[in-house]
Parts: sequence; C-alpha cells; structure tokens
Amino acid sequence: MSGYCKLAIFVVMLYVLQTSFFPLIAYHGISPDFMLLLTVSYAFLKGTEKGTLMGFITGLMMDLATGTFFGIHAFTHLIIGNICGRFANRVYKEQFFLPVFASLGVTTFNYFILALLMVLLGYRFNPISNVQVTLLPMLIYQLAFAYPVHYLTYQLDKKLSLKDTN
Amino acid sequence: MSNRVRRDKEDGRKGWAMVFVTISLFCIIFFAARGRFQAPVSSQAVSLVLSPFQQAVSWVANEVHYVTGAVWEMATLYEQNKMLRNEVEQLRGINLQANEALAENERLRAMVGYTQSARQFDMVAARVIGRESDTWSRMIVIDRGTASGVKEDMPVVTPQGLVGRVVEAGPNSSKVQLILDPRSSVGTIVQRAESRVTGIVQGDMDNPTMPQMVNIPKNADVVEGDVIVTSGFGGIFPKGIIVGLVSSLKNDDGGLLKIGVLESAVDFQKLEDVLVITASREAPPEPIKPPPQTPGTETDPQAQAADKAEAQQ
Repeated sequence: MSGYCKLAIFVVMLYVLQTSFFPLIAYHGISPDFMLLLTVSYAFLKGTEKGTLMGFITGLMMDLATGTFFGIHAFTHLIIGNICGRFANRVYKEQFFLPVFASLGVTTFNYFILALLMVLLGYRFNPISNVQVTLLPMLIYQLAFAYPVHYLTYQLDKKLSLKDTN
Repeated sequence: MSNRVRRDKEDGRKGWAMVFVTISLFCIIFFAARGRFQAPVSSQAVSLVLSPFQQAVSWVANEVHYVTGAVWEMATLYEQNKMLRNEVEQLRGINLQANEALAENERLRAMVGYTQSARQFDMVAARVIGRESDTWSRMIVIDRGTASGVKEDMPVVTPQGLVGRVVEAGPNSSKVQLILDPRSSVGTIVQRAESRVTGIVQGDMDNPTMPQMVNIPKNADVVEGDVIVTSGFGGIFPKGIIVGLVSSLKNDDGGLLKIGVLESAVDFQKLEDVLVITASREAPPEPIKPPPQTPGTETDPQAQAADKAEAQQ
C-alpha cells in the first residue's frame, strides 16, 4: 500500500472517530477537532507546502461530509497549515512540546477566524459568552488530545519516510 | 546564483497560488452561505465513502457506551434502588391524580363533543451515525438516505419533539440540520389556547443548547413555561410537533420585540435514534354544520320543504 494511501486511511479514521465516537463524550455539543490537530502536527513535521495541502484537504472533507458552511474549514485549515508549516525548519521533529502547545494557540486562532467569518456572514453573537461556552471546553479537549494525535502522526510519518528512503 | 533566482521564482509562484486559493475560498464561503454555490456531487461522494465507516464506529461507540453504562448502573445499584423506591411512592400518588384527571377529561370530551383530530405520519426510523463537532453549526448524519425514501426538507423528530430537517439526502445517509443550528428557522406557535402567539425558532450561537423564539411582539402573551409547537407555516414542518418550553424571556436589542429562550424538548446530547417524517396527512377539517336558527325563520330548503309537506297534509 502506498504512503499516500496509508495517510488517507489515517485521515479518514481520525475523522470518523471525531464524528462518530467522540460526540459521546461531547460537552454541550463540543468535542475535539482532530482534523485541526492533524493539520498542525503534519505541518510542523512536513513543512509549508504539505501542511497547506493537508489543511485544505482536512478542511474540505469536513465541509463536504457534514454540510457546514461550505468552504469555511478549508479556508481556515489552509491558512493554519501554511502558518504552522513555516515553523517546520525551526523545530526538532522529536520535540513534541511546541506542536502540542501550539494546538492551543491554533485552536484559538481558528475560532477567531471563524467568528470573524460568521460576523461577516451576518450572524450576531455575544463574544464573551460564546468564548466561555464554546472556546474554553474546546481548548481543554484539544490539549488533552494534541499529544496522542501528534504522536500517531509522527509515527506514521516516520514509517513512511523510512519506507521512502529504503 | 541562477539556482537562487529559480528558487525565488518558484516561491513567488507558490505564494501567488496560495493567495489565489485563499481568495477563491473566501468568495466560495460567501456564495455558498447565500445559496449560490453548491457542491452536491462531491458532497454525496464523500458521504458515500464515509458512511460505512461512520456506521461501524457508531455501532462500536454505542456498544462501548452501553457496556460502560451497564457497569455504572451496577456500581450505583443500591442508590438507584433507594431512589426508585421513593419514585414509586411519588408515582403512585401521581397515578391516582392522573386517573382522576383522565376520568374528568373523558367527561369533558363527551360534553363538548370534541374529537381530537388524528394526525398520521409515515415515518422512517434512523440511527445517528455522525455529529459535527463544529462550534458554529449543528448538524448530524443519519444512516438513512434516498434508498429508504428520505428526501431533502423532510422533518426529523423523536417521540419527545422536533429534531430538525434533512438538508442533504445521499443514497444511504443524510445530513440533518438541527433546530439548534443558527441557519435553521422553524415557524412556531405557543400551544396555550389563550395565547397562540406565533414566532420563529432559531439556533443561538451564544447558547448552543438552547434555541431562541424570536419575533415575539413585546406585549404578546408569552410566559415562562409555555409549550412551543410547530405552527405548520412554511410547509416543511407539520403543525403541532413540540419544539420546547419557554425557559426565560428577554428583550430584543431593538426594544420592540421579545426573545424567548427555549429549553428544547429533545435532549440533543443523547440523540441516538430519530424518526424521519416521509409523509404527513393532515386530518380532514370538521364538516360545517348549519347554525341553530330561530323557529319560523329557517332558510334550510330541506326543512322548508318538510314544513310545506306537513302543512299540505
């Protein structure tokens, strides 16, 4: 099986877990966003180009699969993949601290881009209560699951890289 | 030197491509939100690929949930037993009251001659196999699609009340927009006979678990605890499906209208099985009866003919 095929299966499995399994432990409808974590991890490991592409693909899949505001996640994940990818040359791949804690900043950044888009689309909401109700539980979930997702992505990337060099 | 120039050129091209894709996506978001852009084929293809996996994982998740639930039940058996005994006592009392109310209800019905209009729906049972974990919209994926007769805009309910409507139907799965979604709007009415105030129920971004009833005039007769049901206006949702209870009322920003915060009838956190209404038949209206008339001024031709015949005899 080719490396891309394995990667695609990994993405689909994470997405299926995100939408079918983790809603059972959702708090007020909020559950971890594995696609965002995957984008961050992959971008930190593989650089700008692949990070941007991964962000676009995961975002587009979310948009197509669940019928949300079309293009909204493809847009935000693409930007996040691009930004995180720029740090790929500056961090050691074996160092997990930055990608894991960057997920917090990235989740907040993602939230505020989405909030801005919602305002531009004409939806009004109270930013303070919205942050309390949606962003804070989301950050806790992201922090809890950032390490496992990054570890799995790192291991898969290591295997695929070894296969490529052999 | 030449390598550096080439790399600079390549970086420049990639930069422009990135800017182009970003701007295109930005435009697509707004076109899609205004309903001017859709990607139905690719969307259905993704759903088709994902739904078997989602069904399998959802099944496993439900089994895990069931097992952990059973273990928890066993661990809390003693406390539950005590609570249930108390509840049995309370229910016995309530049962007596209910029987009394039932008998009174039967009497009143007989007196007024009121027969409740029977509303019949054709329904398809479906299992929730996916949920969107997004913070800005509320959607679920169910395991029934066009192969089971599910189509777009069909209402989705549970025995407790309204869940939402089908927004996209694939061959073996469908996407359902919950009433908690900010894009959803449901025509509703207050069930209380003295009130019957209409309004629109929409999802609230500030409180994703409690939808809002908007467009209520400030002096309208709506109080906390009022039951809100679908009004049947708009043609998507049949009349009379329970949406929720008015939990609190607040003033609209404009000051002319009120907003009712609703406690939804359905517990969306525990949504596992739903029913899709594939056809609804409204009960035929009551036949119009002639009003009672003063003797000697009848206008009924049959009655007049009978009177004439009597007079001739």
